[in-house]
Amino acid sequence: MTGRHFLTVVALVQGVLLAALIVLIILNRWFRLRRRAQVHPRVIQLNDAMQRWALGTADVASVLLRLARLPVPLAIDALVMWSARVPGDRWRKLATALRYHWWARLVRANSDSARWWQRLQTARFLAVAATPEDTPRVLRLLRDPHPAVHIAAVATLERVESAALTTVALERLPRLAATVSAYYAGMLRRSRPLVVQLLLKMLRRTDDPALPRLVEFAARLNEPALRERLTALTGHPDPEVRVQAARAIGSFPHTDSIAALTRLAADPAWPVRAQAVRSLGMIADPATLPLVRDALHDPEWWVRLRAGLALTRFGAPGRKLLLEAEVGGAAGPRDMARLVLGLSTQALAEYAA
Amino acid sequence: MRELIHVSDQGILVYFLALNSFYAVLMILSIPEIWEQTRLADDDDFQRIMQSDALPPITLLVPAYNESATVVASVTALLTLEYRNFEVIVVNDGSRDDTLDRLRAAFDLFEAPRTYPETIPTRPLRALYRSRARTRLLVVDKENGGKADSLNAAINASRFPLVIAVDADTLIEPDAMLRLTRPFLLGRHIAAVGGTVRVANSCTVEHGRVTDARVPRRFLPGVQVVEYLRAFLFGRLGWNRLGGNLIISGAFGLFRKDYLLAIGGYRTESVVEDMDVVVRLHRHLLRHRIPYEMPFIPDPVAWTEVPEVGRFLARQRERWHRGLLSAMWQYKGMLFNPRYGRVGLIGVPFYTFGEALAPLVEVLGYVITVVGFALGIVNVQFALLFVLVAWGYGMLLSIWAVVLEEVSFRRYGRVGDLARLLLFATLENFGYRQRTVWWRLKAFLTVWQQRQVWGEMTRKGFEAAKGQTGRRVDG
Repeated sequence: MTGRHFLTVVALVQGVLLAALIVLIILNRWFRLRRRAQVHPRVIQLNDAMQRWALGTADVASVLLRLARLPVPLAIDALVMWSARVPGDRWRKLATALRYHWWARLVRANSDSARWWQRLQTARFLAVAATPEDTPRVLRLLRDPHPAVHIAAVATLERVESAALTTVALERLPRLAATVSAYYAGMLRRSRPLVVQLLLKMLRRTDDPALPRLVEFAARLNEPALRERLTALTGHPDPEVRVQAARAIGSFPHTDSIAALTRLAADPAWPVRAQAVRSLGMIADPATLPLVRDALHDPEWWVRLRAGLALTRFGAPGRKLLLEAEVGGAAGPRDMARLVLGLSTQALAEYAA
Repeated sequence: MRELIHVSDQGILVYFLALNSFYAVLMILSIPEIWEQTRLADDDDFQRIMQSDALPPITLLVPAYNESATVVASVTALLTLEYRNFEVIVVNDGSRDDTLDRLRAAFDLFEAPRTYPETIPTRPLRALYRSRARTRLLVVDKENGGKADSLNAAINASRFPLVIAVDADTLIEPDAMLRLTRPFLLGRHIAAVGGTVRVANSCTVEHGRVTDARVPRRFLPGVQVVEYLRAFLFGRLGWNRLGGNLIISGAFGLFRKDYLLAIGGYRTESVVEDMDVVVRLHRHLLRHRIPYEMPFIPDPVAWTEVPEVGRFLARQRERWHRGLLSAMWQYKGMLFNPRYGRVGLIGVPFYTFGEALAPLVEVLGYVITVVGFALGIVNVQFALLFVLVAWGYGMLLSIWAVVLEEVSFRRYGRVGDLARLLLFATLENFGYRQRTVWWRLKAFLTVWQQRQVWGEMTRKGFEAAKGQTGRRVDG
């Protein structure tokens, strides 16, 4: 084959491909318009049926009928949308009815699909329509390798109370990326009593590398039942655990908390000192005022900032100490006091957040 | 002479085949990528995620230089984005107009003390302002130092772990920030994420939002719509699978702040700071063996106005190419260096040989053809066939980008807009492409001249980078 022949063949193939692409664009438009014309009235019918059912003027069968007439992704979208509007008891009735409906059975069967997007559909469906019988299926989805699938599945915790689901989600939480972990935490907070029981056990595993994340999660719960365990963790050798423990016990104005924070305010790691000073400010026990004032002399800028901000939480005595520091001889405390005293109320609130 | 022309001809043919085969690979790789991305974009239950506190807080970095006319509308639009926890830091880069006064009046600004260390050195700050009306807003007023310097000043002032660099004249879709954080929600080790930049010319804009997307009727902005689609929808999607993407648009890209701080922020001497920062991030993360991804996500959209006049477009393209050339020269140590993995073995070589040197090869091809004709040693039929195939390939790639747009996001709903897209995709190769080659070629000359006066350039310092804004759209 000569070069000219080769180029001729390439040009012909290009021509065919170009024509095919243009036909594809036209067909795609036509198909979408046609599909939309078919599906849109059905969506309106479903919304109408849902509304009447939510008001108690229609039976659940009419909703099921209309759900089955929609393509699966659209039906799941509609379920997700309506699940936020319909009261819990009434929604559970629909979830129970969906358990035996042929359409929902097909969606459930996709939980074992090799295609991640089909498993995602099942997870999204179960997140709003799971019943206790779906627990083994949701457990599998919670362990799914595709992040979109297990993130969708963890939302099931909003509607189904299950020790097994909570345990798996909590075990997974510290090993997830920070954002996903925060999302899991938000879901787990809805099963608080169970989570607290599990956390009390997990926080005893002091050699667990996931401990800092667990303590961080525990801190968000503000749960008094965890205070003792969290206070014990202020002596942990890992500075990250101590930081998280210091943050957590700042929510508990207890003598043990103050004693632990006083100790942590002299910690060799500056992030621990900064957090301890911040937590002392949150508790605002007048006895710790000299300690917080001394932290204004810390060699680390961030500790001094936290100390300055903490002093503002002690009211007039704290403010007086800041004013004294502002005219004092030491440059570090003076600059920090000047900075903190110049902050607006809004800026102070933002720092406290 | 004959032998020389023959060898050059063969070389150009091989280059053409290699480059176009690579584009074909990108084209094929973009198929599964757009499939996955549209699935995730459709299935994400954004409302639920917005109600959770899982989303990472974000700082929007907005450098503004002489933006008096648009700054208030732009900042207002940014402040009303759908996101739970974010702040907007506008850096007035020593504007000579009344940009700061307008901000002060519109947002009831008051001077606030500086509460952060200057981690990245910048031009001196004049003052910091907070707003009584909008708690999310911080305005930094500083001496002029260019876009990169302003971004660095904003990074210093930012409180949050993620930052998005946004041009003051860019319109961001309300849910774009939310969509941009999707890779974080999927638990990936993200260093940076790029969103799509689309052409706002001819679109209807209300209250800083694009409410009706149109394809311009005029040739220059219209053909740039196709260019942007090609660059974002198939180029970068394909690169997602190859893992060597070197560009995250300066107009709309999200970065992890700790990584930006680790590389010392944006380089103020760089002509195209967005490409420079991405290459340096790759280098830093690969050197330190930090696992990371820098994906491109097609559904978060920012709209920008493109030049409608050839003179301005020429200047923009010359600058982009100059930036590409200097970046490839600056980081030549990464070229074919296995230490830098796919970036060193695929990304940098492609951008060096397939993008940076492409105008030279194309012009060489034209010259050889003309000389060959003059000497009667080039087969006319073969030459014409070759040109036809080259143009056909260009059209194929552009129309493929239109196909991807049609099967995924369909922003241009009207049949007229679709027809114009196809028309511009076809006409692009007849005249426009040759003009861009010429503009890019001029960049070689500018770089050469700059190298002659390099010492003088460095003494100019920050002023050299002044006003050099824009975003790249290369493959």
